Amino acid sequence: MKKLLIITGFITAVVGCSDVKREPGRVYMPDMAYSRAIETYADHSNLEKEGINYTAKPVEGTVARGDLPHFPVAQDKAGDTVNYVASKAVISPMAALSADEMKEAERLYLVNCGICHGPKLDGNGPLWKDGNGPYPSAPKNLVGDPVVSKMPEGQMFYSVTYGKGNMGSYASQLSTKQRWMVIAYIKSQQAAKAGVSAQAAAPKTDSTAATSAAAKK
Amino acid sequence: MIPRKPNFIKSGFFVVVLTIVSFINSSAQDGKALFNSKCASCHQIFKDAVGPALMNLEERGKWADHNEILKWANNPTAYMAKDPYTEGLKAKFGSVMQAFPDLTIKDVDAIVGYIDQQVADKNKAPQTPTGETTAPDNGHNAVIFGVISLILAIIALILMQVNSNLKKLSDDAENILRPDPVPFYRNKVYIALLAFILFVVGGYYLTKGAINLGRQKNYEPAQPIFYSHKVHAGINQINCLYCHGSAWDSKTAGVPSVNICMNCHKAITEYTKGPKLFNEEQQEINGTAEIAKLFKAAGFDPSKPNAWDPSKAKPLEWIKIHNLPDHVFFSHAQHVRAGKVQCQTCHGEITAMDEVKQFSELSMGWCINCHRETKVDFNYSDSTGNKFYSIYEKFHNDIKAGKMDSVTVKDIGGLECQKCHY
Repeated sequence: MKKLLIITGFITAVVGCSDVKREPGRVYMPDMAYSRAIETYADHSNLEKEGINYTAKPVEGTVARGDLPHFPVAQDKAGDTVNYVASKAVISPMAALSADEMKEAERLYLVNCGICHGPKLDGNGPLWKDGNGPYPSAPKNLVGDPVVSKMPEGQMFYSVTYGKGNMGSYASQLSTKQRWMVIAYIKSQQAAKAGVSAQAAAPKTDSTAATSAAAKK
Repeated sequence: MIPRKPNFIKSGFFVVVLTIVSFINSSAQDGKALFNSKCASCHQIFKDAVGPALMNLEERGKWADHNEILKWANNPTAYMAKDPYTEGLKAKFGSVMQAFPDLTIKDVDAIVGYIDQQVADKNKAPQTPTGETTAPDNGHNAVIFGVISLILAIIALILMQVNSNLKKLSDDAENILRPDPVPFYRNKVYIALLAFILFVVGGYYLTKGAINLGRQKNYEPAQPIFYSHKVHAGINQINCLYCHGSAWDSKTAGVPSVNICMNCHKAITEYTKGPKLFNEEQQEINGTAEIAKLFKAAGFDPSKPNAWDPSKAKPLEWIKIHNLPDHVFFSHAQHVRAGKVQCQTCHGEITAMDEVKQFSELSMGWCINCHRETKVDFNYSDSTGNKFYSIYEKFHNDIKAGKMDSVTVKDIGGLECQKCHY
């Protein structure tokens, strides 16, 4: 009887054994394998109890080395659009992008924005795919929609920094400088597109931008 | 308690099914042959493959009309030009279906009949999950081989015993006196042989186990949310750096915080358009329920999306899969940005993994081997190159002189101990 139990136990162990490795396994010398210092994704919740002062966030207003000064406009309170409108006046602190910077800006656009707004900036990224993708609302066409084409860069920066509509904030993914670079890239693409269409139609002036935006308000 | 239908209804249902099956059976036979020869290399019935799954094909709008299917199959490119649905399929699967100009309406009827029958068969027996028939095959084989060798060993032992008994009998008959034979478990030859085998086999497994101690290849923890890289990075083509952006400019690749998930999931509140999800235990995963777990962590109520306060979100405790010992330094930025190494080189076909598992060994030998083989893009002159490499004057001269054709990571110090251990 006991033998039978052992044999059935062995067979179930062999048959039922899964090759999915859910546990990490053991190490030779734990003190050399696991960091004693607090690493990036270690549990930070108990540090205060241990008397360790730790702040995950830099002090308010800190500007990283090589980064640009912060955006001067604060986020609107819910239901308010004052700051969103005010952001129109903000001008990019960046000089015109060099060819290398433009290439980097394109890369940043393709990584962070292209997924919705499309690699061609036509609002048809892989998440939308003419409505066949998983994203339920159509992203803005950045080169075909007159509202976006005429939008001042400061207001675009506001949207990228604090989010707008269904779009979330990209402040955690892109630094201030990177956000201005992406906007410069979008503006350059819009200008290129406008240049193509301008050959057929008359070139439009910036005054119409202000009036159309004001009319929207 | 499962409610049961009365028996007569059940049997009546079966009679109906049987008559239908026998009615369509002849066409289904042709259908199977046609399906296997024309469709099966790209299509599966229940799962998306190179092309979409074909089950319930007739429920997909136009395909209810077999003539439309025929028109499509006879000339997909021409059909697609006027049809956004198939255009979408092209975008989803990345290619247009091959044309089958000789297909007739009868063939289409037969193929669809076969598919419908397969679906009906599957619905009749829903209690057998698909994984069970295929997955443990290897295990069964191993057991069968084990049992066979055990039986053979027992037979060999019995024969040996019989042999010694017969010998004893013949000795008795011839009146030869011999000392009692030593039983096999005290026979020194047997013991030595057994010890040797145990030593070799045991030594093999012991060494293998000892080498793998501390290595986590194939580690595949169950994460707090069933997040499928296949759906996100594969089907929806989200760039790796969208979520793991710090791989570009920091040591750590970075696990995205909840707000990055919410960039999209603020709008995508349910999982409806992708393929069915299964975890490694072949249990089906409800994608919408998994997204709901994210909402819980984010403190987001999908019915009131505008009332969401991101600052109240709680971090998700993802389990880190790729662990390097503390005494090893590794920087993602160095590899991804300067070295231009693709993520997939070390992490495997992430875009095909529902649950991520550790693809590489992450052992020192594995690192060193890659450093020996990988060639460095030594171009530094124009804006695309890395100006750092201009300091390797000797190598540049050697390349110009034709003394060496390429520089590997090894040549620029990739095997130095202090490169990674300090």
